[in-house]
Amino acid sequence: MTNFLQVLILGLILGGVYALMASGLTLLFGVMRVVNLAHAAFMILAAYIAFFAFDIYQVDPVVSIAITMPVMFALGVGVYLLLFRRIEGTERYVEMTVLMTFGLALTIEGLLTFFFTGIFRSTRPSYATQSFFFADLFLPKGQAIATGVSIALLAMLWAFLTFTKTGTAVRATMQNRTAAEIVGVNVRRISAISFGMGMALAGAAGSLLSYLFAFFPSRHWQWVAILLSLIVLGGMGSLKGAILGALTLAVASAFVTDRFGPSWSPITFYLALFLVLMFRPQGLFGKVVRI
Amino acid sequence: MTSLLQLSQVRAGYGVGPDILDTVTLNIEEGRSYCIIGPNGAGKSTLLKVICGILAPRDGEVLFRGAPVGGMRPDELLRIGICYVPQERTVFPAMTVRENLMMGAYSITDRNMIQTRMQRVIEMFPILGERWAQLGGTLSGGEQQMVTLGRALMVNPTLMMIDEPSLGLAPQVADQIFATIQGLGDLGITVLLVEQNAHKGLRCADWGIVLDLGTNRFEGPATGILEDPRIRELYLGTTVAATKESDQ
Amino acid sequence: MTDARVEPTIEHDPLVNDEASEGQGTLVKRLVLVVVLIAVLGLPFLRSMNGYNYVLQVGLIVLMWVTLASSWDILGGYAGYISLGHNMFLGAGAYFSGMLLAYLGISPFLSAIVAGFFAVLVGGFFGLITLRARGPAFIISTIALVLLVNNLVDNWALSGGSSGLGFPLPPLPVEWLKVPFYYGMAICAIGSVYLSYRIAHSKFGLGLRAISQDETKAEVAGINTRFYKVSAFAISGFFIGIAGALFGYSLSYFRPITFFQIAIAAQMVLSSIIGGRATVAGPVIGAVLIALVNEFSIVQFGATALNIVVTGGILLIVLLFFPQGIVGSLRNAGRLPSFLDWD
Repeated sequence: MTNFLQVLILGLILGGVYALMASGLTLLFGVMRVVNLAHAAFMILAAYIAFFAFDIYQVDPVVSIAITMPVMFALGVGVYLLLFRRIEGTERYVEMTVLMTFGLALTIEGLLTFFFTGIFRSTRPSYATQSFFFADLFLPKGQAIATGVSIALLAMLWAFLTFTKTGTAVRATMQNRTAAEIVGVNVRRISAISFGMGMALAGAAGSLLSYLFAFFPSRHWQWVAILLSLIVLGGMGSLKGAILGALTLAVASAFVTDRFGPSWSPITFYLALFLVLMFRPQGLFGKVVRI
Repeated sequence: MTSLLQLSQVRAGYGVGPDILDTVTLNIEEGRSYCIIGPNGAGKSTLLKVICGILAPRDGEVLFRGAPVGGMRPDELLRIGICYVPQERTVFPAMTVRENLMMGAYSITDRNMIQTRMQRVIEMFPILGERWAQLGGTLSGGEQQMVTLGRALMVNPTLMMIDEPSLGLAPQVADQIFATIQGLGDLGITVLLVEQNAHKGLRCADWGIVLDLGTNRFEGPATGILEDPRIRELYLGTTVAATKESDQ
Repeated sequence: MTDARVEPTIEHDPLVNDEASEGQGTLVKRLVLVVVLIAVLGLPFLRSMNGYNYVLQVGLIVLMWVTLASSWDILGGYAGYISLGHNMFLGAGAYFSGMLLAYLGISPFLSAIVAGFFAVLVGGFFGLITLRARGPAFIISTIALVLLVNNLVDNWALSGGSSGLGFPLPPLPVEWLKVPFYYGMAICAIGSVYLSYRIAHSKFGLGLRAISQDETKAEVAGINTRFYKVSAFAISGFFIGIAGALFGYSLSYFRPITFFQIAIAAQMVLSSIIGGRATVAGPVIGAVLIALVNEFSIVQFGATALNIVVTGGILLIVLLFFPQGIVGSLRNAGRLPSFLDWD
């Protein structure tokens, strides 16, 4: 058993990246009640973009965020306009979004497999295998950088939501959509922007995961289950909850990995999900969700 | 008196459901305050939703100052002066009172105007000044209602539609709200009030409209409706004698 | 004072049939049912067919999908609780019978029914946990559920872990090999469609539909929603478990991923939706359609990832434009032929 502090740090670092992934998902649910089962599929799509940027043009994965974020933003707005705008306001809307994103996830996975096959891929920047050392602890450099980037992006998200007019409108829409409408917020426009932003965050996460993990198209199901567990734990629709859920579960899974081995790590998330469902279905911070 | 809002032969309903409103024809005069009463399911809330853009009419016309506005979005309607205060509590729960009022000014760009209007709202609802930094979700029902009304006042609307403001409020608090609504006329705002409590609602309005089975059946000066024995028995649910007693 | 009055009018309802045509409809229905049953049960008798074994193989796969879609619809259609992990039951049944065969030599033809009950138990257990959540949280939990089970079976030595289980085929000559599997699946298919029919016309089914419409109102009306939901979850696993036992045996070798892959759950859902949720005939039509299209495209283009793309794409199109599915859309347009109307 390694140093308790060491495991804690490893968990926290991973949690930072999970928080980034979960924040996009939360944004989509909070603003538009969309349960995006395709979120991880989009992340992997972005990872492939980062991979080819690295492979062909030697673009560093972190730098590739400057590519993946705008591309995914545009894709997100497109998906919103083409698909989700049409079903707004229909009965059983939330259920429809689940089924639709399910279909989207399948389509993306199929296309990625068809074009790029199921070979494990990852980008290999130098820092992916290096580490920082201090005292008798080591900090994997790649993961530390990823967490640093995640924190920076989440901070920018926070600033956007708190200080800009559009960001305030997004917050307002998340808290009470009808109220936002009647004070003059164009909720359609805000929904499109939020969708784009949620996807952009997925894009950034994709760039980071391109070197953090070996990825292949069907891997997204495992991640989506993990992300959804985080969201349910934190309370769907709460950004604060998503981040806290990410950190908590990442640390927990780090300890599980340390004790039982890596193949048991995903089970931590699933178990947490079931425990939350049994004892506190609304999660730590969430509002009670009804269709 | 100029005509501000006209509905002609409006039909409306939700989703694929039946028509809730069926040939509603109304003429709203500027500067007057109206109270819409009627039994449950008559379509009072639906009527407001059609006017404020949340629900598009299936048939018929909605004209504001002569221009058709049926099916326009709420934010578009806000820009031409139509404002809606819905039945559900629409306070932003995780924002302070101040932030809530600032959201009310979302469509305004002139900073000075925003400041002056905020002042005015605090003068109308002094208690909001006390609760300035408190989160919307922690306010009492009456205070939340005041925030919602104050928020609407931030845009100085021409037409203000208020849906059942007294719902869930204690009688004294409700009276406060009604008193405020009565004062809106002095600010030059045309008010369309939907109220379950027909007595109190008609008391603070100039004109009354009775809605039943999806269409308007009677209208006239509010006091007239309050005192008409037929309407009292049909819609206000009491006999003349009993009401005179409670009036004392 | 003005007085505006409007008289309501009653329109003629085109969906109301008169008695004569209704009698005719029932006759056609029964006729079609009999013809279908004869065709299904009689197929293996056409021994002189070209590619006999292949036809039976396709047939048993189609019948399996009818079983899966019909059973899924009990929870996903009538009760409105979308499960994206229902293929868990398939794997549960397969492993149950597979392990009994591998370690005790018991033929899955004998243990299949027990596998079905095992699946029901599993469904009851997991249903109690996952059905504490509603709506999107429930759907998420079904995904996590199947991944969890996959992980557990993958790590369990007894089940063969990720290397899977292998066992000998039944001791039958090659030309008769597919026949028992075919009939086994036929029984599953007929059983699950009949179950769906009985539920649709029962108080239980009514309760499920009430839950689907408005669960809070159903609760308030005195329906024990928890019992109904968990029962639906468990019952829907019965025939899927049996089908799993049979199918696993027919493969003679399988691994966890064989059953727990998302593509299977996806096809179940799509079949039910495209055919029409919460109907008896819908999942049958949807399952047959999708299974045949799948089979055709595999033959033509090979089993590539494009199949998944097509599944996803069709799902999106159906959701956008025909969310009621074939049976639902026909019924809404008043054009549902009587032999499809079993609700």
